[in-house]
Amino acid sequence: MSEIIRMVVILSLISGFSAAALTIANVKLGPQIERQTDLYVRGPGLERLFGKPAKEVLGNKVVLNVDDTAVPVFFTLKDQVVSDLAIEATGKGGYGGDLKIMVGIDLINERQTGMEVVSHSETPGLGARIIEVAFRRQWQGLPIDAPVALTKDGGQIDAISGASTTSKAAVNGTNDVLDFVRENRDEILRLISER
Amino acid sequence: MGNKITETLTAGLWKRIPPFRLVLGLCPALAVTMSAENGLGMGLATAFVLTLSNGAISSLRNIIPGKVRIASYIVIIATLVSIVEILMKAYFFTLAEQLGIYIPLIVVNCIVLGRAEGFASKNPPFVSMIDGVSVGIGYAISLTLIGSIREILGAGTWFGNPVMGESFEPISFLVSAPGAFVTIGSILAIQNLFSRWRGEKFIQG
Repeated sequence: MSEIIRMVVILSLISGFSAAALTIANVKLGPQIERQTDLYVRGPGLERLFGKPAKEVLGNKVVLNVDDTAVPVFFTLKDQVVSDLAIEATGKGGYGGDLKIMVGIDLINERQTGMEVVSHSETPGLGARIIEVAFRRQWQGLPIDAPVALTKDGGQIDAISGASTTSKAAVNGTNDVLDFVRENRDEILRLISER
Repeated sequence: MGNKITETLTAGLWKRIPPFRLVLGLCPALAVTMSAENGLGMGLATAFVLTLSNGAISSLRNIIPGKVRIASYIVIIATLVSIVEILMKAYFFTLAEQLGIYIPLIVVNCIVLGRAEGFASKNPPFVSMIDGVSVGIGYAISLTLIGSIREILGAGTWFGNPVMGESFEPISFLVSAPGAFVTIGSILAIQNLFSRWRGEKFIQG
């Protein structure tokens, strides 16, 4: 009997110690991992949206907490005024799971500057073509006060042939971003000015 | 005592160099050695885990009850591997992306558990850590060697730098999965021939 208790106690001690070590590592290195993810995963998309090297814009980041989810918002300034935003959103309902996209918003001209895919797990050759520039450039210059839609729903975005589910997910994500900007515009600007 | 340390230190580099003579840890050796850099990164990550896990398991070898030893080893190894994964994501992000799922899979790398069970559970901590360093470095050297052969012949580069000149036509087959089997098989064959010539036992535990 005492042998069993000894086994349980020692295994629990080892597990507890391991859990503590992992928590410490995760807490200490979390911000560093976040910076690296920004640089390598979001960096290329941000470069295209803002037309600036990623290192210049990566620091310009505020995080909004809406409904318990953290939404990263990147911005760029022009003559001390916030000119462009890049907002990350989840495109729900992709064929291989949710997409992570970033939509560029030009606040001065009230236009979208583009859509970038941060991460996806779509089928190569079909849904994965979402990263091609021919699909992404359809977002350039769209207004930010009207929701986007696929052409078959009477909208402006031509779906990728054979991958309407993926295209729909990107459109959904974009509409989430547009709603988000409409509802939280003042909050975003306030957070940026407080930095 | 000094003799045993030297013997342990050199054993991993030839007498039981993984994966060729230990014949453990072949899965990562096949899967991630597309380039010398990947091989080296994977080898060093495994060496790090191996050294620390050998040290930890050896210091606890008299405390851990025999019946739950494997479970305890797995918990310790899994913790170390997760820490390595966090460290790699924080400081070597591109390498971590390339190695992908194979970093967490170091947990089930037979070398780590094999050395824990076969060496660390029977020897004092310092010698066990020496064994971890030695086997780990041996593994890193092997993976770098496999990666170099595949990268030089398969892509004409070494650690990303072109080395084969303009006229070289890469054997791209070597960079894909079957090329890994051919490369490892050939090295294994050469190693066995060499061992036979020296009159050694082929494969040693």
